[in-house]
Amino acid sequence: MTDRTVAHVTCLGCGCACDDITVVVKQDRIADARNACALGAAWFGDGTVPAETRVNGRTASLDQALGEAASLLSGAKRPLVYLAGDVSCETQREAVAIADRLHAAIDSLTATAATAVLAAQRRGRAGATLGEIRQHADLVVFWGVDPNARYPRFGSRYAVEPRGVATPQGRGSRTLIAVDVGEALGPAEADGRVAIAPADEVDGLEFMRAAVQQRAGEADARFRPVVDLARRMTEARYVVIVADGEPGPTPADPARAEALVTLVQALNTPTRCALSTLRGGGNRSGADAVLTWQTGFPFAVDFARGYPTYRPRAGAAALLGAGEVDVALVVGAPATVAVPVSTGLAGVRSVAIGPRASAATFQPSVAVDTGAAGIHEGGTAFRMDDVPLPLRPSLEGARAALATVRALRVRLGA
Amino acid sequence: MSKPTRLRIAGGTVYDPTNGTDGVVRDVCIEGDRVVAELPSSAPRLDARGMVVMPGGVDIHAHIAGSSVNHARRLLPEEHAADPSPAPPLADRAVARSGTGGTLPSTFVTGYRYAGLGYTTVMEAAVAPLAARHAHAELDDTPLIDAGFFMLLGNDDYLLRQLAAGEAARARDYAAWLLGTTRAYAIKIVNPGGVAVWKGGGGGDRRNVTGLDDAVGSSTVTPRKILEVLTSTANALGLPHPVHIHCNNLGQPGNAATTLETMKALSGQRAHFTHLQFHSYGGAPDKGWASAAREVIEYVNGHPEVSVDVGQVMFGSATTVTADSPVEHLLYASSGRKWVNVDIELESGCGIVPYAYKEKAAVAALQWAVGLELFLLARDPWRVVLSTDHPNGGTFLSYPELIRLLMDRAYRDERLKGVNQKLLAGSALLDGLAREYTLGEIATITRAGPARLLGLKNKGHLGPGADADVTIYANEADRAKMFSTPRYTIKAGTLVVEDGQLRRAPAGRRLAVRPGYDAAVTKDVKRFFDQYACVAFENYGAEPVP
Repeated sequence: MTDRTVAHVTCLGCGCACDDITVVVKQDRIADARNACALGAAWFGDGTVPAETRVNGRTASLDQALGEAASLLSGAKRPLVYLAGDVSCETQREAVAIADRLHAAIDSLTATAATAVLAAQRRGRAGATLGEIRQHADLVVFWGVDPNARYPRFGSRYAVEPRGVATPQGRGSRTLIAVDVGEALGPAEADGRVAIAPADEVDGLEFMRAAVQQRAGEADARFRPVVDLARRMTEARYVVIVADGEPGPTPADPARAEALVTLVQALNTPTRCALSTLRGGGNRSGADAVLTWQTGFPFAVDFARGYPTYRPRAGAAALLGAGEVDVALVVGAPATVAVPVSTGLAGVRSVAIGPRASAATFQPSVAVDTGAAGIHEGGTAFRMDDVPLPLRPSLEGARAALATVRALRVRLGA
Repeated sequence: MSKPTRLRIAGGTVYDPTNGTDGVVRDVCIEGDRVVAELPSSAPRLDARGMVVMPGGVDIHAHIAGSSVNHARRLLPEEHAADPSPAPPLADRAVARSGTGGTLPSTFVTGYRYAGLGYTTVMEAAVAPLAARHAHAELDDTPLIDAGFFMLLGNDDYLLRQLAAGEAARARDYAAWLLGTTRAYAIKIVNPGGVAVWKGGGGGDRRNVTGLDDAVGSSTVTPRKILEVLTSTANALGLPHPVHIHCNNLGQPGNAATTLETMKALSGQRAHFTHLQFHSYGGAPDKGWASAAREVIEYVNGHPEVSVDVGQVMFGSATTVTADSPVEHLLYASSGRKWVNVDIELESGCGIVPYAYKEKAAVAALQWAVGLELFLLARDPWRVVLSTDHPNGGTFLSYPELIRLLMDRAYRDERLKGVNQKLLAGSALLDGLAREYTLGEIATITRAGPARLLGLKNKGHLGPGADADVTIYANEADRAKMFSTPRYTIKAGTLVVEDGQLRRAPAGRRLAVRPGYDAAVTKDVKRFFDQYACVAFENYGAEPVP
């Protein structure tokens, strides 16, 4: 195969889904992923993936593997389908069809960010696509998060540096404020900092909302800095509050998530404000979108009754932990599956189809390696803000996840 | 190759307004996916004696797919939990999908329920170009209906820049390129300029536009200018459907003045005004509400270049979902319900508030009455067609009830007695509007009219060459019951509803346009993208990538 470069490649290393990557291929390996951050470069790697097909640890043909997978799944009493990372929306759609047919439970990486999703279901949300932060935000508040760690180009592409239609000076058109919540620090390069103790965070957000709505009494001195920040927000033209939707050092607090949503909503009376909730990569936002349009629910869906029911407190981790599941189908890269789920998967028979399935720590009964969406396979992925992007494969030769999952679907009569 | 399927729908009473057939007993013959003039007598027959035969329903304006609809679905788990939909048992053990309903059903259920209602063509009314790929993916998962979408324009930065620079020709090329690259069907304008102002930030008077001559950023750009350029663009490009306009000041008392001013500004040019009910209020912002339906519909009656869909409000649950995000903020602030706002970069907005129209609420009763006035005072059913702006005024499942209100005066008068009368003083409904729609007129406002307004030459009629989309109803006195449960629906020649049951669920087709344009525009758009956009020009739109 000839060496080549592929431009405008979308990276799924995190939820930023930067689509300006130029992948340089030499001798069938990725030699460079230009424009990619360290996280993106690691996600692309050199593009080599294993190409194993295994049944009970032994090498098998694809036909044998799919036959065994179909037999396991159709014989299951309480099957679980889990949408892991690095597959396209097209593949996710096939996997949901399988879950529907099997009357299975289905969950995805979205479950890890359940707190923010549930808060938005209770209260709604005021948001913006990432590009709108670039165009309009003159005050950006990082609420207990430094995007440089897990979302390295968030600042350079969306929220800090780029010039937008109403922010002609880029960084110079914006004020950045870091809110340090205990150990969860905002970015070092902020123009101002406000500190609040984790125990005071929810109350602080409520005091801020009261100040925005001009119904505040005199707040305790320890809340004065955040209340002052709230007043400053009302004077800005377009405020963005950036928070992390993924699990952090402290357990996610539903009250905190809801207080963030309602503060941002309230800010839209005196001025404009959007909450930007950071989400991880691997097209997890696609899983959320696909499940929502096919079932009406974004994660933790159960087809056991022959139709989708929503069980946000009984997702994959809980079902596996309770010993309810007897067979699982994991579609996507097992390495992206978080610990409570991967531990639970180790205790049941499972089928894994996806990138590096054969290396899954939970030792699936059937493992079919495929390429990764965006590296070996095209399709569609969603940025963390639900903007759909096409995927441009740079390497050929790996088995396609879409075709493999579709073949399993056909065998299951789904 | 097997022979194309043949079917003779025998002995039904046919309503086919396009071909001048108004309740005539005759056969309709189908071969493959088309209506044909005649079939050999040996062809299979479907006995339709005593039944009413119409073309498949055509919905000119509904919100069924795409990012805004999906945001709304995500917001409403309680609705979905309350309305589960198991997979329907299809013929030949074909695979079907389960899902959920509510005001925003899941995709498969949307297709099943439309077909179950006798509808076979639906236009998704508002898709931001940035999210076109998403809308197509959802429509791919929405079986049984031929579908297209209207692409949002008129609040997008690139277009407003062209208007500020006086580049009307480039604006036209841009619109043409965008329609093709997003595989859209028509141009949709929502609150021209108002959404851009809302997105620009700040408080006070920088929240929306209030009329046609407010400045939108540049003083040379106004809602009037946006409307003029996009209306002439759609007509110059020869699009099958003219520009589809959601006027400024939706839902505000006194907004009929803006609506009429908009119609007059575009006088003599083809334009479609959507959900007119929401734009036909008298009164004034500080002085309360009244009906201005008569004034508005009289203008429509006298101007053949104008077409409208009504956007009827129906009592019950609804979800307001619109690109008119500043209006949704007002609704959130006044209702205290949950609220979603999404500003869409460089293009548009999205606002969502769940809602319920109650008979005892004065404004809801007025809205209900205004819609009915528009229907009943309309003189040309070809240009005043049925919609509820699903799910904004009510869901598509309420169409049969709406049809009964139009066809059955006694029923309508009875319902009128039960609604809050406080704001109905100026309503023509109180004068005892006696009109009852005929079946032929219903066929016009739900099939033939929308198809003609959309420029769908093979839809909405049963002449030879038409798409074989047919609905067959039992002729029942209760028109709501009749229209809610067709006995048969035929989609592209396939019998999909049989004896009132969904039996087959083939995929529908996509309806899209691809007008020509001067390719030089793409260089300029690419420059703009390179300067401001957060999606690569090459990744934009909904075309397959190499």
